[in-house]
Amino acid sequence: MAIQLEHVSYTYDARSLLRQTALQDVNLELAEGLLTGIAGSSGSGKSTLLQLLNGILLPTEGAVRVLDMTLAAGKKPPKLAPLRRRVGLVFQFPEQQLFAETLEKDLMFGPVNFGAAPEDAAARARKALKQMGLSEGLLSRHPLQLSGGQRRKAAIASVLAMDPDILVLDEPGATLDQISRMELTSLLHYLCREEGKTIIVVTHHIDELLPYADRWVIMHEGRAVFHGTRRGLVDEAERLPGCGLSIPQPIRCWRELEAAYGLQAEEPCLSPSALADRMVRLASAAAGKERVYA
Amino acid sequence: MHEKLLIGRLIDTGSPVHRLDPRAKLTAMLLYAVMVVCARSWLALLCLMVFSVLMMALTRIPVRTYLKAAKPLRFLMLFILIVQCFAVKGGSVLVAVGSWHLDSAGLEAGAIAALRMVLLVSFTALLTFTTSPGQLNQGLEGMLKPLEWTGIPAERLSLMTGIALRFIPAILDEAQTILKAQASRGADLRELPWKEKARMLTALLVPVTVGAFRRAEDLTASMESRGYRIGAPRTRYRPLVWGQGESWFVAAFVLMCLVIVWIGFY
Ligand SMILES: Nc1ncnc2c1ncn2[C@@H]1O[C@H](COP(=O)(O)OP(=O)(O)OP(=O)(O)O)[C@@H](O)[C@H]1O
Ligand SMILES: [Mg+2]
Repeated sequence: MAIQLEHVSYTYDARSLLRQTALQDVNLELAEGLLTGIAGSSGSGKSTLLQLLNGILLPTEGAVRVLDMTLAAGKKPPKLAPLRRRVGLVFQFPEQQLFAETLEKDLMFGPVNFGAAPEDAAARARKALKQMGLSEGLLSRHPLQLSGGQRRKAAIASVLAMDPDILVLDEPGATLDQISRMELTSLLHYLCREEGKTIIVVTHHIDELLPYADRWVIMHEGRAVFHGTRRGLVDEAERLPGCGLSIPQPIRCWRELEAAYGLQAEEPCLSPSALADRMVRLASAAAGKERVYA
Repeated sequence: MHEKLLIGRLIDTGSPVHRLDPRAKLTAMLLYAVMVVCARSWLALLCLMVFSVLMMALTRIPVRTYLKAAKPLRFLMLFILIVQCFAVKGGSVLVAVGSWHLDSAGLEAGAIAALRMVLLVSFTALLTFTTSPGQLNQGLEGMLKPLEWTGIPAERLSLMTGIALRFIPAILDEAQTILKAQASRGADLRELPWKEKARMLTALLVPVTVGAFRRAEDLTASMESRGYRIGAPRTRYRPLVWGQGESWFVAAFVLMCLVIVWIGFY
């Protein structure tokens, strides 16, 4: 298990009158090498959950186990730097991520802190920049001189440059145009499949991530109310509206198809092309049957 | 970081004190400051303490929370206590080391000074605990307005203080955010050696200042785009109303003020 949460609760400002419980009794096990999507309405605790994964927040109850480290409530945490080397977190707002005077310095910040030589760090910065489809001309700019979307990509690049084993992203696609969003999704998919990274993504565009995510977690009012495979999500889609989410279009289409042809327990086809393929095969099979009866 | 800055935060318990006209509360605080200055004996301080606790109870915020607001100043108070112990001589000698000796009068003066400080800081937190910065500011403007003929720019001042009040927590949040981002990429302030720590904190200054300017610019733009012009006549979302409750509240403070002054004379 890459990540294990046991009875985890988190309360902001726990000892003051302004206390705000963001997570309640969350139990999750996220396996290594999988791409997990997390969805949930605003304020359901997604960002809080992600910040627990690299020790930015420490649980107020329960225990978080990440790789070989345990962060338990009430215990003095171990040195967190090794954990953060292996778990890269992209915050929800790129303004929260970038702080150096130039983009280059910002991209190199992580690798340098984790002991990379300056030339190596610079090379990694460039590679990450390229992966995010940004031009090298931006390297000398101040992060605030970038456009919103560029800033977002830069923030993701700053974490990619650290080359972590577990990549945790908080709504990375927000404020990106659709093409960039799709490119990002395929990059994450590539990193997961080809480089064996564990990837956890919070998203409000469930439909776009559906064909790629191996597992889904649905958050509602601070609890993880669903955790399972794509198949499981399709089966339990009725529960989504109760969590403030709408049923994604691909799931709706697939379920109509299932109902129409009486399909059962089949791996759902959730991208438009896969769905079209499946429909053609079903239609031709049906046509074949008709011919037999005729 | 937030917990340390309890003073300056609204804690809404919906008590009658929360609903009072901010001008009444501001006046009350001025009177309270007078009381603290006048209270020089143990008896006066005791009366003041009882009065303070009663008033705090009215707000339905635990006294503990008020004391917490004074906590950041504990070293200053300790310092005052020590200075007084050294400076004031008289009474009986408590401890003597060589030519130096700690006198009972010194200790008493120190204790009184520190206690007055605790009272002042924790009680004036009542103002910010029960009044939103916006209201506070409106109250301030309302109190300065009659003085406008002397050349005091009431509206400008209140705008300035209003924005400053909003910016303090905003800037702290900004610093917190950057620290989080740095920690997340391997530079955790808590885990760095002292020298590195100092370097990181000074490095924080630039992005935080830049962030503050960016916020200020955004704020001006958004205010102007919604038609804000200084000096232009504007109506109030919530006009100030002085009712009976306000009069009673201020009267209680005036009365207490008289009691304290009276104790001082006898
Ligand atoms: N710094 C904070 N201090 C106090 N409360 C907070 C803080 N951050 C979040 N919260 C509260 O914790 C709860 C969960 O917030 P969180 O940011 O995890 O939600 P989210 O699922 O990420 O929402 P969104 O989709 O809007 O980003 C919310 O009720 C929020 O008000
Ligand atoms: Mg969030």
